[in-house]
Amino acid sequence: MPDLLAWYGCARLTAGAFSLLAVLGGCASLVPQTMGLRDVWPAGVAVRTELTAVPFFAQQEYQCGPAALATTLVHAGAQVTPEDLVKRVYLPGREGSLQIEMLAAPRRYSKVSYRLAPAFDDLLREVAAGNPVIVLQDIGIGPVTSWHYAVVVGFDYPAGELYLRSGETERLAIPFTIFEYTWKRGNYWAMVTMPPDRLAATATEPDYLAAIAAMDRVGEARAAIVAYSTFLGRWPDNVAAGIGLANRHYALGELREAETLLRHVFARHPDSVAVANNLAQILSDLGRNEEALELIDWAAQPDMSPFAASVGETRAMILQRMGRDK
Amino acid sequence: MTSAFKKMICRFLAIALITLPFQTGQASMIGTDQVNAAASVQLDRNLVSSYLSRAQTVNEFQVLGLNAQDAIDRVAAMTDDEVSTLAGKISAVPAGGDGLIALILVVFFIWYFAFRR
Repeated sequence: MPDLLAWYGCARLTAGAFSLLAVLGGCASLVPQTMGLRDVWPAGVAVRTELTAVPFFAQQEYQCGPAALATTLVHAGAQVTPEDLVKRVYLPGREGSLQIEMLAAPRRYSKVSYRLAPAFDDLLREVAAGNPVIVLQDIGIGPVTSWHYAVVVGFDYPAGELYLRSGETERLAIPFTIFEYTWKRGNYWAMVTMPPDRLAATATEPDYLAAIAAMDRVGEARAAIVAYSTFLGRWPDNVAAGIGLANRHYALGELREAETLLRHVFARHPDSVAVANNLAQILSDLGRNEEALELIDWAAQPDMSPFAASVGETRAMILQRMGRDK
Repeated sequence: MTSAFKKMICRFLAIALITLPFQTGQASMIGTDQVNAAASVQLDRNLVSSYLSRAQTVNEFQVLGLNAQDAIDRVAAMTDDEVSTLAGKISAVPAGGDGLIALILVVFFIWYFAFRR
């Protein structure tokens, strides 16, 4: 068994190198966030939790990306298998899956994919909130890199372990230190795939809106409506989310809903040219061109607006419908 | 015109058709993305560069073994930011794929015995 012997030799060497490194640099620089948790545990997060209901899909060769994604997507309510996801995220020429594609694919299943901040706190907070987290690890040794996706489904801090769905292992228990060491090399990359009716526990207003707008590109219209509504439940003053929601209703031909929504947004943000433009468009489609013209004339006033071109088009269209040139 | 060049143009047009924000003929509704963008000049410039990045990424995906339709679908699910991040760097960014649990176990034991005792 020359391989095993080689491994053994390699392991001894690596162990020596690690010990030396630890002595020279101290643990803090190797696993700074684990050391940080020792001082401050994230407020409001239980010290142990495990999401036992999260499914497990054993990965086929090189296909941890599809397996990890299927794990969180099925948990989020999608009907999908790792095989379905191979054509969405697996890249034969790289024998793996790219991070950006891991974020892009869930949108096809009308789930909101959200990249977490590169922090242990955020990872733990999501898991504690019931959201399994996909992480990118480098499980290579020394100069050898070997990128791998796994799903964090739980942790037990007093025992010093995290629980992962990983590769062919349904429940891999791994110490915080070693997990951070493998996770750090991918710059602490982590993501969740949320159903549209729930917000990620660590969602921030601008980033989560961008995540929803990205899902809106290719997801189902109904799911986008639910996602925007959920977002507005948390951040009711967000103009862009209100516009996105109204646009979705508009695209489905639900002009009344779109109008009611935009009037509501306009009442809160009476200086928004974009809202005025869209509202004018809807009013005109409803046949209320006089009302629409009044609104678009107001919107055309400050021609510094970045939306001047759109406003000009809307105005021209309204005038045309009214049978006027100017 | 070489056929390779024609192919490139065709791909570009296919992508442009698929990813252009669809105009419903009369409507000029302003979208969420635009509201978030600062100025329209900047927006137009971003649009052009985004189409080019998309065409390039579709090409690169095909070189790496995807069929044309899958490549187009996958690029279409990305945001403009994502595409411009990726274009030209597909061979350099991490691609998670390995399931070499043996490796992780070796590291696991080293750490376990080095630091937890």
